[in-house]
This record gives sequence, structure tokens and C-alpha cells, in this order.
Amino acid sequence: MSANLEWPLRRRVWVTFLIVPPLAFMTAFVVVPILSAFVYAFYDWQGLKRADFVGLRNFLDVLGREPWAATTWRAFGHNVIVFVTLMILQNGFGFLLAYALSRQLPGHRFHRVAVFLPVILSSVIVALVWKQFLHPVFGLLNKTLGLLGFGAVTTPWLGLSETALWALILVNAWHWVGFPTLVFLAGIQRIPPDIIEASRIDGVTEWQLVSRIVWPLVAPSATVVFILLFIGAFNWFELPYLMSGLEGSPYGSTDVLGLFFYRTAFGNQSSGAQDFGHGSALAVLMFVFIAAVSAVWTVRLRRREIELS
Amino acid sequence: MSRAAAHHAPDHAKGPAAGAAALLLQILLVANSFIMIFPILMMAAFGFKSTAEIFSKPFAFPDLTNLKNYVTVLVETNFFLYLGNSLLITGTSILGILTLGTMAAYGLARYSFRGNIAIYLFFLAGLMVPLKLAVIPLFIQMRDLDLLDSRLGLIIIYIAMGLPSAVFILTGFLRTLPSELEDAARIDGAGDARIMWSVMLPLTKPAMVIAAIHNAVPIWNDFFFPLVFVQTDARKTLPQGLTAFMGEYTTNWGVLFAGLTLSALPITIVYILLSKQFIQGMTSGAVK
Amino acid sequence: MTTVRTIVAAAAAALWAIPMQASAGELRFWSWRNEDKAVYAELIKDFNAKNPDVKVTFEGFEPQNYATVLSTALAAEKGPDVMMVRAYGAFEAVAKPGYLLELNDQNVPGLSKFPEAALKAETLRSDGKVYAVPFASQTMLIVYNTEVFAKNGVKVPETWDELVDASKKLKAAGVIPFANGTATAWQNETIVGALLSSMLGKQFEADILSGKADFTDKRFVDALAKLQALAKDNFAPSYEGIDYPSSQQLFSSGAAAMFAGGSFEAAPFLKANPALKLDVFPSPAAKAGDQRLVAQYFDGGYAINAKTPNKADALKFINFLASKEFGDKFANQLSNISPIPGVAFKDPILAKVSELNKNSMSYLFLVHFRYQEPSGSVLEQAAVQKMLAGKQTPAEAGAEITKGIATYFAPFKK
Repeated sequence: MSANLEWPLRRRVWVTFLIVPPLAFMTAFVVVPILSAFVYAFYDWQGLKRADFVGLRNFLDVLGREPWAATTWRAFGHNVIVFVTLMILQNGFGFLLAYALSRQLPGHRFHRVAVFLPVILSSVIVALVWKQFLHPVFGLLNKTLGLLGFGAVTTPWLGLSETALWALILVNAWHWVGFPTLVFLAGIQRIPPDIIEASRIDGVTEWQLVSRIVWPLVAPSATVVFILLFIGAFNWFELPYLMSGLEGSPYGSTDVLGLFFYRTAFGNQSSGAQDFGHGSALAVLMFVFIAAVSAVWTVRLRRREIELS
Repeated sequence: MSRAAAHHAPDHAKGPAAGAAALLLQILLVANSFIMIFPILMMAAFGFKSTAEIFSKPFAFPDLTNLKNYVTVLVETNFFLYLGNSLLITGTSILGILTLGTMAAYGLARYSFRGNIAIYLFFLAGLMVPLKLAVIPLFIQMRDLDLLDSRLGLIIIYIAMGLPSAVFILTGFLRTLPSELEDAARIDGAGDARIMWSVMLPLTKPAMVIAAIHNAVPIWNDFFFPLVFVQTDARKTLPQGLTAFMGEYTTNWGVLFAGLTLSALPITIVYILLSKQFIQGMTSGAVK
Repeated sequence: MTTVRTIVAAAAAALWAIPMQASAGELRFWSWRNEDKAVYAELIKDFNAKNPDVKVTFEGFEPQNYATVLSTALAAEKGPDVMMVRAYGAFEAVAKPGYLLELNDQNVPGLSKFPEAALKAETLRSDGKVYAVPFASQTMLIVYNTEVFAKNGVKVPETWDELVDASKKLKAAGVIPFANGTATAWQNETIVGALLSSMLGKQFEADILSGKADFTDKRFVDALAKLQALAKDNFAPSYEGIDYPSSQQLFSSGAAAMFAGGSFEAAPFLKANPALKLDVFPSPAAKAGDQRLVAQYFDGGYAINAKTPNKADALKFINFLASKEFGDKFANQLSNISPIPGVAFKDPILAKVSELNKNSMSYLFLVHFRYQEPSGSVLEQAAVQKMLAGKQTPAEAGAEITKGIATYFAPFKK
């Protein structure tokens, strides 16, 4: 600790006392584990014991050799779908809702609390409730559709490979849409009112106002929301695990990297064998991918913010 | 909409086009709130029904005096045990996060020294780290510390996970406090520790509340780390315990929904009472 | 680093003194059968009548997490003293690293008198030693509602064609012929075992093991094709979305007439609806006169942690778990087919299952192909689930399974 040398000893001790314990804690339980994952991925593992150094083998296996590679790439593809769809659905709709809320129409306080309500609930509650609601025969969704005369479109949403992933994505959007909404709302509320007032006097349409003035000005909020969604989408685990199981049922159509990582590392249902080598390799690849993309993307988005403002 | 009315409208809308837009937006908000709240109300309503009633008359108004399912959850499952664990784990973690977070933030915000910015950035980098991906090394580490299948193991992980955001929120706030306060206390002869404890920290409470909520909600709701680290029933948290008893009552939907409702209840009540702080807390970090 | 660890560990120990290892005279007993907790409590009481100084604590876990939880705990030296372990491949995952105590006639007198197939399920292939007392076998067959059959004038089918006719008749009468659905992955394995064993035949099993046939074999593909056709019209409505609990519900409520499942189904059905009248029949044959088979496997065994500090007490308890006294109660109260020699089955269904077991083949994928990844069970479940959803042909399903197993199973490598 490089405390200021001009300080009296007592202050140096004091500042050291303040900084070192939290720093040591972070190092011990965040930095060391992350770095260890990189090391572990280069070894073969026998249960919880580290065995031979195998170089890049684990990485090459999960990226290019069966029985891993096909699953890795399929799962990655699903993560991409999840991310892109949620970008449009969750963030796009969130922005729209935020704009609506910013108009301070009657009842806006209530709507603000309502849109955020699912956000505070555990994924476990959300997943299990929606799993029952999506039940093909007794589920609330199909019952409602039947009641409204749409009986023909009812389907086993979580049972068909065509619909299962989309159902999970929609549930995720239901769960989280309040988050981008309120972040965007805070961004919109920071726009000086005279800017909006002035443009209205200039006679711009509602759409022009939203797309040319409001959207560019909330760009800083957008950056954070985009990055957080990106990280979340590529770490996706709870919802698919609880709603479609460890293997991404039906037949892998909801399999994502988070599930594949978990069952590789800690074993699937039919064999509880751990494979920490391949598991670590997957984790490292996911980590590097997430870190690299978010870093590059943050820089680009920040540049856009500057251009827009 | 008349000109006079438009003049008083808070959104400064002008003319019929703006009125139509406002109407559309209003419809959007009402529809959205319905979609957000209706499933939650149905969940609670199903808790008052028998499985047969849920299947045959899902939309019928429930008999609110039928508490059978709720009683089953409270009496026959380990609901209170899980609730207690969740409270203990979340509470202790928040205490740890705030203690360590305040120490670091205070040191970084109120003293300038060589390496200050580097350390601040070090904490900040932690904000973007998905700790889930380090679960294998954490697992080995917890085994070495003999903390697998323990609540303390979880608490340590949660503190590590929460520290960066707490440092970020608290440093930002502490930097805004005027140094005159400090100087005045120093002239009165107060030492560094006394100034921090008696002068500055009482002023930091609002930021601490934000940092606490920001971390308490994800910790309270977490499923992943208990799934990996805790096996013994007596140490399970509420979300994890919920999946265990879902397994026991798979075919009794009434009890399932009662269990889900009861699990959602504590945090929902607190949220409705403190919605402003919740929203501020959970979006802090994203909102500057 | 080490200092930090030491400090944290010391603090942890001081603040959180939770007793982890049971002390002398106490045994922690782990199981994946949470629903059997009450009966085990009674059985433990029986044990305590003779061994009053040994305290046994039953701890139940979710079945789908049990394998992971157990092997993780054992690896971390946090395991229980006595535990239920699975059989075959999943058993080896815990036996191979040396976590379990070897059992033999010296420490468990009479162990060698257990049926050979039962002991084989709990034997480590590499050293030929037994590490667990087998507790039950499960049999895949068809459970049916006798009242629904009688009411609709349906006879118990013996051939596949009769089964198809019976299903048609039931469906015409507004009854769901089969309660089964495919949304829960492992259900796709039980469905195949319960319905297709007679058509596959024992010779098929032998040919698979010798490498003479693989799963692209005509016998397997044809049987799958028949299953696909049957499921389409006769499984639960929107069966792709029906999970195991929903299937159970359909059957126990009387809405469905048959359930292709295991001998373990009967007890929960009767618990959910005590008025239900049940019986079982083995998978139908391709043509009249062919041998009727059920698919059988051993579920698991009771094992001792090799590192237990209470070896003597654990052995006392294991010997109790291997006794006829225990077996009788275990079989009749929990409706299990106990392999303990001399156990009598009072329950008529249980007695019938035990009779049917005399003509059985292995529950193929679980018994033979769970030793390596990708496990045959995972492959079969995904392939059949996909096939029953109409997303691939029986031939493609067979090829997919074969391709996965061929990555480690020498007889398939060509």
C-alpha cells in the first residue's frame, strides 16, 4: 500500500487499515478464482483432483471435438438468439414503456411500480410459476387462449422444439423488462425539459421527438443496459435449468452455454461425474468472449454517445 | 383535448395528434401493467384453490377463507427454516458488504494517495465479472477452507460479489461530501477514525441503503450458488428450498402455488412499501 | 493467499461451529427417496430396538441432483457415513475413486447369497468387488386401470396388434389410452423399456453387447416405428408438453387407462388415489406365442463411506439393511422388489412383478451404457423424444444413438 509519505504514521496505518481488508477479500475471492479457472482449464481432472497438464486439449475438445463441440456450438447459437431477441423485445419494449412513463400520464406512478414488480422476484418463482402456466393441458395460458376463442393455437409451448426457446425468452422478458424501462426512464428524465419543449414548438411529430431527440439523449443509459443484457444472455442459466431441465429439453432445443457448462462441470443426471477440466475450458472461453465483446462494445457505444451528444 | 386542458397537461402535449399519441401510450401502460400483475395475482389466487378447482375453474374468484394449502406449506414443509436461512445469509452478507465496502470507499474517496485510482478501477472491474463462471475454482477454494455445504461459504461468495458495486456507489457518494465538514471536525481535535464514524458516516446512510438494496435483492433471490454449494436441507435458502418442496408436491398444484406465493410474499411486501428505494437501488450503477 | 485463507478459516471455525462429521454413535444416512422418509424412520426405530446406542439420521435429496451432490460431498470428504448409491455406471462414479468400503461375506454375512444380477449391479468392474448391498430392482412394464379396462370391455393385450386395438377402443370411448408424455427426458427411456422389450428380445441384447448388432438394427428401428405410430394417437393429448407429474396425474385420476412405466409407479398412484384398481402386464409381443419380457434393472444399494469414523456402527446398520427383517418391511411398505433372499411379497402387484421378473431382459441403456459420456441413456432419451415429436425417423434415432455410443463402446467401432 503506497500511502502518502508525507502523512503521519498514524494516518498511513489508518488508510491501510481501511483499504487492505476489502482489497484482500476481493483478491482472495474474485481475482484468485478467476485466474485459477484459467490455470485449471489446462489440466486433466480426476474428480476434484488435478491430474496431468494437457495443454490446450480441453479447449480444442470443447471447440472442435465430439462429443463436446456440436453441443458447444448449438448452445452458443441459442445464446445468440436469446441475446438478439431480448435486445429487441426487452430493451426495445423497455424504451417504449420508459417513454410512455416519462409523459407522466394519469396513473404513471402505479405503472412504474407495476412494471418493476417481476424484477424483484427470484428466477425460481418466475420459472416455476410460468412452467405451470405454460402447461399444455391445465396451464393458464392455453386456458386463456381457449376462452378467448384461440383454442386452435394452443400448443405444448415448452414441449415443442419450435416454441420452447421462444417461450423461455418471453418469460425472461416478462421477468426483466422493468429493469431497462426504469433505467431508460431515468435517462429520459435527465433530458432538460426545455429541449423537448423547444422541439415541440418547432412542430416535430411524436415519432420524430422520440427517434431524433429522446433516443440519442438516453444513449448513456443504453450502453449500460446493452452490456448488462449481453452479460446476462451469455450467462443464462436459472430459467432454462428450472423450466426445461439440465439437458435443455426437448432434445437440446433450449440448451445454452450455462447449462452445458454446469452439466460438464458438475455432472448430469445419469452420471454425477465431475469434469472440471472441460468445464473450466468452457468457463474460460465464455469469460474471455464476454469480456472481449463487452470491452470493445463499451468503447464503441461510448464513442457513439459522444457523437450523438 | 381543449387548449386550456392541454396547457395543464403535465406532458405539454399539444393538439389532437399529441392527444392520440398520449392515448396510445396510456393504453400501452395499462396493458403492460395488467400483463405484469395478472400472473402474480393468479399465482396467489391458485394458492386458495384445490388442484381440481385450478384445472376446472381457473378464473373463478377464489374462496379466500380456504387457507388449507397455505397451512400445508407452513406446517408440513421447511418453509420457516428456509426463510430463516435466507434472512441470515442475506443479512450477514449485506453487513459484510457494507462494512468492507464503506471502508474501501471511504479510503478511496476521502484520501488521495498514490495508487488510489488504480485500486478504484480494480474494484470497478469487478462490476463486470460474472462470478458464476468462476464457480469451479470457488468450489475447490471452499473445499480447501472446509466451507462446502455451509452458509458461511455462501456469505463469503456473496460479499465478494457485492463489494464492487458497494465501493462504486459509496465512493461516488462520499466524494460529493464537502471537505469543510472534515476540516471543522479536525480543528475540534477529532482523529481520522472519529471523523469517519461520527461525522461522515451518518451522512452516508442514504447511499448505504441504496448499496444494501442493490445487493440484497440478488442475494435474496439467488439460486445458482446455493445449488452448487449447499446440500443439507437445514442450510438451504428459500429459492433453493422451494425447488426441493416442489419436487415433493409435484401433482398438488394448489400447494405449489401457495408455496410460490408465500416465497414471493416477503420481498413483495417490502418492495411495495419501499418501491422508490428498491428501484433506485436496483438500477443504481446503470443510472448515473 | 495462505494467510487470508487461514484467517478466514479460523474466523469461520470460530463463528460458525456447525458440527459436520457425526460423532461416535451417530450415523448420517443419505437417500434420494425423500418420499420414503417416514418409512425409513420406522425402519430405523426397528434397528434401534437392537442397537439403542446408534443414532441414525436420514437425510433426503432431490433425485435429479443426488448423483452430483453425493459425489461432490464424498470428494470434499463431507460425505455421509451410510448412503444410497445407484447401480452400474452411476455407481462406479462413486465406487471407482475409492470412496466406498468394500463389502463381502466377512463384514456382511450372507451377501454372496444375493442374486447374481443384483450383486453385479453394485460391483466395480475393474476389481470385481462389491461395494453396496443391493436394495431393489425395478421392472419396466405397463400399469393399467382394471376398472377402466373392464368398463370398456378391453382385454389385456398380448400382442402389439392387440395393444393397438385396445387403445383404439379406449380412445373411441373417450378414455386416454396412455397417460404418457415425453416432456420429461427420462420418460422416453422408460417408455421404450416398458413397451418394446418383448419385440426386441433377449437375443437383441446379446447381439448389442457382442457388437453383432447396433441400434440401427432392424429389430430396434422397427420397434421404434411401432412406438411412434402408437404414441401419435394414443399418448396423452399434446404429449410433447406433458411432463412426468402430469402423466401421473392423468393416470391416477382415472382419465387414462394405461401407463408405460416402472414397477415403482404403483405406490404413488395408490397414494394419490387409494380407490384406484391397478394391475400390470409385460410388454406385448410382436406375434402371439413369442416370449413376453419385462425390462429389469437394479436401482441401487446401501454403501458405507470408506472414510467414516464410525465403521463398526455403519456395518451394524448395513447388516440390518441386508436382513430379511428389513427386506420384508421395505418390500411391503414401500412396494419394492427387494433382492434380499427369502423376502415374501404380500402385495399382489408386487408378487406379480416378482413373477414377471423371471422372464426379463436388461433395461438396456441404464444397465449397459451409463459408464461413459455421452451416456446411452442421455442419447436414447433425446433421440426418442425427438422421434416421438415427429422431428426424426426411427432410423435416424437409431443412428444417432449408435453414433454417440460408438465414441467409447469398442464393439460398435467399425
